[in-house]
Amino acid sequence: MLREISLEVQSGEAVGVIGPNGSGKTTLFKAIAGMLRPKSGKILFDGLRLDGLHTPDVARRGVVYVPAERELFPQMTVLENLELGAYANPRDRDDQFRFVFSLFPRLAERKRQLAESMSGGEQQMLAIARGVMAKPKVLLLDEPSTGLAPLLVAEMYRQLSQLKAQGLTILLAEQQVPHALAFCERTYVLENGWIKLSGRSSDLLGDPAIKRSYLGVG
Amino acid sequence: MIPIIIDGVVQGLQFSLLAVGITLIYGLGGVLNLAHGQFAVIGGVTAALLIGGGMNVILACVLGVLASGLFGLIVDRSLLLPAYRYKGEERLLLGLILTLGLSFVVDGYLNYRVPDAALTVQLPYPSVTVAGITIRTASVATSVLAILAFLMLGAFLKGTLLGKAVRSIIQNEVGAELCGISATRTRTLIVCLSAILAGVGGVAQGVFSSLGSELGVELTIFALIVAVVGGVRSISGTLVAGILLGIVNAVASFYIGTYLTLIILLAAAMLTILVRPSGMLAYWT
Amino acid sequence: MRQPRIPTGYVTLGVVGAVLALVPLATGDSAHYARITTLMLVYMTYAVAFNMILGHTRQLFLCLGALAGSAAYVSVVLTRELELSPWTTILLGTLVAGALGGMFSYVSVRRGLGVIFLGIVTLAFSLIFQNLIYGLRALTNGETGLVTKGMGLSVLEDQRSSYYVIFGVLMLSLFVYQLMMRSRIGVAFRALSDDEYTAELAGIDVTSYKVLAASVGSLLIGFVGALYGYRNGFISPAIYSLAGIDIVVLITLLVGGMRTLLGPVLGGVAFAVVDELVRPFGQLTVLVYGMLLIILFLTFREGLVSVLRKVTKLDIP
Repeated sequence: MLREISLEVQSGEAVGVIGPNGSGKTTLFKAIAGMLRPKSGKILFDGLRLDGLHTPDVARRGVVYVPAERELFPQMTVLENLELGAYANPRDRDDQFRFVFSLFPRLAERKRQLAESMSGGEQQMLAIARGVMAKPKVLLLDEPSTGLAPLLVAEMYRQLSQLKAQGLTILLAEQQVPHALAFCERTYVLENGWIKLSGRSSDLLGDPAIKRSYLGVG
Repeated sequence: MIPIIIDGVVQGLQFSLLAVGITLIYGLGGVLNLAHGQFAVIGGVTAALLIGGGMNVILACVLGVLASGLFGLIVDRSLLLPAYRYKGEERLLLGLILTLGLSFVVDGYLNYRVPDAALTVQLPYPSVTVAGITIRTASVATSVLAILAFLMLGAFLKGTLLGKAVRSIIQNEVGAELCGISATRTRTLIVCLSAILAGVGGVAQGVFSSLGSELGVELTIFALIVAVVGGVRSISGTLVAGILLGIVNAVASFYIGTYLTLIILLAAAMLTILVRPSGMLAYWT
Repeated sequence: MRQPRIPTGYVTLGVVGAVLALVPLATGDSAHYARITTLMLVYMTYAVAFNMILGHTRQLFLCLGALAGSAAYVSVVLTRELELSPWTTILLGTLVAGALGGMFSYVSVRRGLGVIFLGIVTLAFSLIFQNLIYGLRALTNGETGLVTKGMGLSVLEDQRSSYYVIFGVLMLSLFVYQLMMRSRIGVAFRALSDDEYTAELAGIDVTSYKVLAASVGSLLIGFVGALYGYRNGFISPAIYSLAGIDIVVLITLLVGGMRTLLGPVLGGVAFAVVDELVRPFGQLTVLVYGMLLIILFLTFREGLVSVLRKVTKLDIP
């Protein structure tokens, strides 16, 4: 459950949200995505209010949410999943296909494979790729490293860096704190529905409380 | 025996058309449409009335099918709106009761305005001979109509982006919404489409035999039996299941009578639900 | 919480009983009104039963007509074929209905069937019943039906005495309902209709209470269905059909108010009035029933009792 929080993301930034389970990270993302309605407060995107919009409308505005559960289409191929990802923005679809396949070559190899038959790591890649297909203005990634082997996590963050280099605005929720802090310029620390700390990731890395709770140091 | 089987196949095609529609509305709309048979009857009756009024047969049939589609559209945007405000079981229950009431309304009205007596769609040529077997033109026409409808539906669902969007909602509604696909707007399309399929079935029924007063309920029942017992995961599967049911129904009715046959089929449906409650629509490819 | 000295429920029952007992005096010798009022009592009783089955334990039985009809046909056919006493066969028929209802309930709870699937299963049963009657023509005379006049139940053949017999059954059923609701059973029902999972977790044996409600309800439906079969002079599949009974009882309970004592009674009165108004439409009655069902279910699901409670600020049972 989220209590009172105030968050800000600038265009082109990568912002992280870290915190223990139940702290409200997913609730926050779901609220932005239109899956939950906030009891009070506003969600503004480029001057437009997102709170109160239904999920499909939020997605169509360019704010794309990739949930931890992935929510892929199990009986559809990789190609079809990606195609549907671009549903809101079919015009640039071919360009996006090229971009996505260059980013995730493993998906290119499995174009005609059914989503449900892929491994966890591949499904995670597909979920992110599907989100990218929409040519989003903002990408919300909820714990993208869940269930991935460390090697795959590293690879995924490499790919995300490429996305960041393209100028994509990213809001990232993570359990794997070191990766999040390395990847995001700024980070918010959420605990029990409140923002406990926020600031530049590099500063937070040096914070003794963070070091103790999340980095297992000191 | 052959004429019986042919009749069974033709009848079965109609069952399939309705079964597909009822399953789509259930899978996408979350509503069990107990008035689905009435969707079909409206199409058939419209076509029959138009032909009776002197209109060209083909035009009348097309208009009949469109009438069904229009009716479905209206029902979705009016009667079912309250149901859509809920989710899951609440919606299912409300939809069931509302469509149950609707089925009574339609049947009651049709019985009053166009009471009993077979309404038939007349065809110019009586029969056709294929490979030494004489088949009624009506049977051929009906089968062709139904199969065409199925092919078009399949092409739509597999080939077009909108069709894939429909499948995606059935497979994962949350995922679809995250891609910007609106279940609400797609739902209306699907109800309309299902109604059109039912309309084809209704017109076909009119061409093939007659549109009696009990037809609506009968078609709904058979559609449900196909959907429940067939428990199939694809359109082609439903097509096959429907044809099989048609054949079984025709042959069994010949030997043990229609009542007993229907009892056995219904009992089979009941048993299927009891043994395999998830029967209807896991997900479709 | 102070308990009133005589619980309001029983006082209400007394009032209802007094009023209904006096109705035949108002209708006099008119056969037409005798029929309507007796039929009204029959539907009230069906509604009391349905209140237990659907209202309190959320079991969507779309086979009320079939249950009533099963009892009626079992009774009449056995009396005709085996020349047993009608009272014996009525008992047998009632037991058959009760067993069927209990079985549907038990199986569906055990298999975890949702409300909808139970609805489909019972709907299928309704159709099976209709087709059984048509199919076993030798025994049942198919659509034409069987004449029940002169089968030895004189008390049910006189319009006044039959009214009071059914009146007795109705009052008994209301009394039983009231007893149940004020006992442990009522507590369980209230917990059940709120949230089954929580009730189960709280230690309430959901299965037993659901099956109990379904069985008692079905017994009641069968009993009254059979009784009315004799009173009516003949039975036919059309009488015990979806359009003949199920939709009427649904409307009655919706109008009156589910999960209340007076709901079935008020609903029954309201429906009897509506039915009389609709009579001149002939064929269109089914259409009207359908529209009523839709409109009521959308706009008036709370029922008359609920409305009266708000208006009079009294705790009407």
